[in-house]
Amino acid sequence: MAKLEPYTPTPAARAGRIVMTVMPFVMGMACVLLAFVPLGRIVGSPLTPAFPLMAIYYWAIVKPEMFPPVAVLAVGLMFDLVSGGAIGLWAFVYVVTYAVVISQRMLLVNTPFSAFWFGFLATAAFAGFLGWVIVSIIHGIFVPPGSVIRHMAVTVAVFPVFAMLFGRIQTRVLQGS
Amino acid sequence: MDPNRSALPFREFSHRISLVFMLTLAAALLLLGRAETYVFDRARQVVTDLAAPLLEVASRPVAATRRIIERTDEYAYVFDENERLRAENARLLAWKEEALKLQAKVARYEALLNVQVDPSIDYASGRVVSDSGGPFVDTVLVNVGAEQGARSGQAVIDTDGLVGRIVSTGPKASRVLLLTDLNSRIPVVIEPAHYKAVLAGDNTDWPKLEYLASQSAISPGDRVVTSGDGGLIPPGLPVGLVIQTSSGDLRVQTFSDRGRLDFVRVLQYEFPSKVKRQDPPEVLQGGPEESEETGAEVPAAPAASASQAAARE
Repeated sequence: MAKLEPYTPTPAARAGRIVMTVMPFVMGMACVLLAFVPLGRIVGSPLTPAFPLMAIYYWAIVKPEMFPPVAVLAVGLMFDLVSGGAIGLWAFVYVVTYAVVISQRMLLVNTPFSAFWFGFLATAAFAGFLGWVIVSIIHGIFVPPGSVIRHMAVTVAVFPVFAMLFGRIQTRVLQGS
Repeated sequence: MDPNRSALPFREFSHRISLVFMLTLAAALLLLGRAETYVFDRARQVVTDLAAPLLEVASRPVAATRRIIERTDEYAYVFDENERLRAENARLLAWKEEALKLQAKVARYEALLNVQVDPSIDYASGRVVSDSGGPFVDTVLVNVGAEQGARSGQAVIDTDGLVGRIVSTGPKASRVLLLTDLNSRIPVVIEPAHYKAVLAGDNTDWPKLEYLASQSAISPGDRVVTSGDGGLIPPGLPVGLVIQTSSGDLRVQTFSDRGRLDFVRVLQYEFPSKVKRQDPPEVLQGGPEESEETGAEVPAAPAASASQAAARE
């Protein structure tokens, strides 16, 4: 009887696996940079969506093992460093939001897109509120909430486009492998 | 027993432990970040300098798209715009005559009173390469760094007026705190009555006026310019107009538009601390003989003032 050789992955396969593993994190980092590209200026608006929140929510629901808490912290910290705001603000908000999303994951996984989108609406509202509370405490005043409401509204509005994009990447690259 | 089945609870457990650890770490960062330690400032500068070239490349297509949209708009309204510009040009020519007369008069008075004219201000031009990126911070990155002479505290203007001031610089890029940011405080003067106040951002589109004297009577439409107090920002830079909000508060509508920031100038203003010794004007030194001499010298003043004006340009 023929004996099966033990499987040893080639270097290319190993590299491919590493790429697959880090891809959601790399996309999270790309979302951080994208959040600072002045896209709103095309239409003369200073509003830019919270792209990292979209990546965190999507991957926390779809493939949480590929977007671990350390990646969420790194994405939030990078956002804080580039934004010039309080250090740790978005790192904290994103990690707490990620924990809440993970705890409700079973409600949202494999649901119709409308439910998935509604889940993101609740997530964005939670993240915005948490951020607003922390900033208000830091400054010792009630910071006018108008800008965070507009920011999160734009984020929720453009989420379907990015969810579709993440879905394509997931189908073509991650599952294709 | 399938070994994968026993690995699953362990993976879930380690995921939970990791989550708790990251939550603690994030909370610790939030508290440590308040200390504004050197490490965080340094890390921020390094990250900013690394991100600025990437953001500059990424912002170019955005700027090009915006220009295309603006051009299309301009073509659509080219005749109306032409008519408007002709009318504005006629109005401005009248203002130019008036301004030339006033300039000559001011120059004559300056020469007469031996006024120390402000030195000319050097500047470095650059582009805004990033957006604020968050709802609680109004800062942008410009591609003018310490290598081009940018320093913390320097004023940044665009074609409309004051944009903000630099709060940190790296070798290649600087961070500009916009007038609307929660931490922005700019000493201003409200014209024409010359009331002094501090323009304070509060995360809304219209910064408020603080430390305004209670008896000051300002009204919507009054012009707000920098006062130059503190010596960081040159005096007289246009900031905005006083407006009245629906709730009745008086706030400032800035001339610069956050949504349209593109090319800016970083003013390398040096407060004139080394002022030459200035004697009282000769006309005030008394004595009939001296006043006669002064009278002979007065006609020469416009020439001196013209050279001062040229030096200022």
